[in-house]
Amino acid sequence: MASELRVNTLKDASGNNSVATSFVAGGSAKAWAAMNGTGTPALRDSFNVSGLTDNGTGDFSFAYSNNLATADAYTAGGMVANTSASNTTYTLAPYSSSTLTTSSSRYSMRYNTASAEGVADYAYGATTIHGDLA
Amino acid sequence: MASLLKVDSLTGVTTAGSISVTGEGNSTTTNLQQGLAKHWVRFDQVNSNTFGDTFNSSSFTDNGTGNTLFTRTSNLANDDYPAFITTEIQASYTNTADALIAGATQLSTSFMSTYHVENGSAADTRTVAMMAVGDLA
Repeated sequence: MASELRVNTLKDASGNNSVATSFVAGGSAKAWAAMNGTGTPALRDSFNVSGLTDNGTGDFSFAYSNNLATADAYTAGGMVANTSASNTTYTLAPYSSSTLTTSSSRYSMRYNTASAEGVADYAYGATTIHGDLA
Repeated sequence: MASLLKVDSLTGVTTAGSISVTGEGNSTTTNLQQGLAKHWVRFDQVNSNTFGDTFNSSSFTDNGTGNTLFTRTSNLANDDYPAFITTEIQASYTNTADALIAGATQLSTSFMSTYHVENGSAADTRTVAMMAVGDLA
């Protein structure tokens, strides 16, 4: 039978290591996604993400299944190189807050070397979103 | 009324690995298990390869200069989890393109980080900071 438990604080059975349930809700990621930006862009794995939109080369948006309370949520991006990295930095950079909404976030896949920078499609990008649910 | 629950383990009733938590807006819910970080590491490659702090790491393997493999205690469900990694910027490197921390290989059982500096040369860094979310096996 499904059940609902209402509680303010969690502790282990010895009465130690307490954590307020507000930290459980507030400290949990509200959405995350790993994606492949090459070819037809696709989600690899995700939580609370309903879709991925290809806005152009190195430009992607993630839509949430359950919206956030505000557009100014914490968004972080990362990329993984599948081969030993050379002297190039790759990043999945979140767009500025003015482009964010409560229902989606947008990112730019970027590379940066000592002499050049730009956008491109790469095989592995990841994001995590922290904030309050609507 | 304030309440306190003392418990060592939480398990869903309908589905053992799925517990709903009411969100801050008091209406929608989020999944407790899926919202939690499953593996994180702060690691020093310079000073004798030591963990600063870690969660769900069983061991590390020094694969040479700038290359460390972190093995998990509890595996993730697949290789497709989002992983994030960062490092410090050292004063001797003049811009962010000169110092690069990256994931080299990510598996359900482990994550390998590499660190390179100017001209692509491998080096050790005092700070490898990595976090993975995703589903546990």
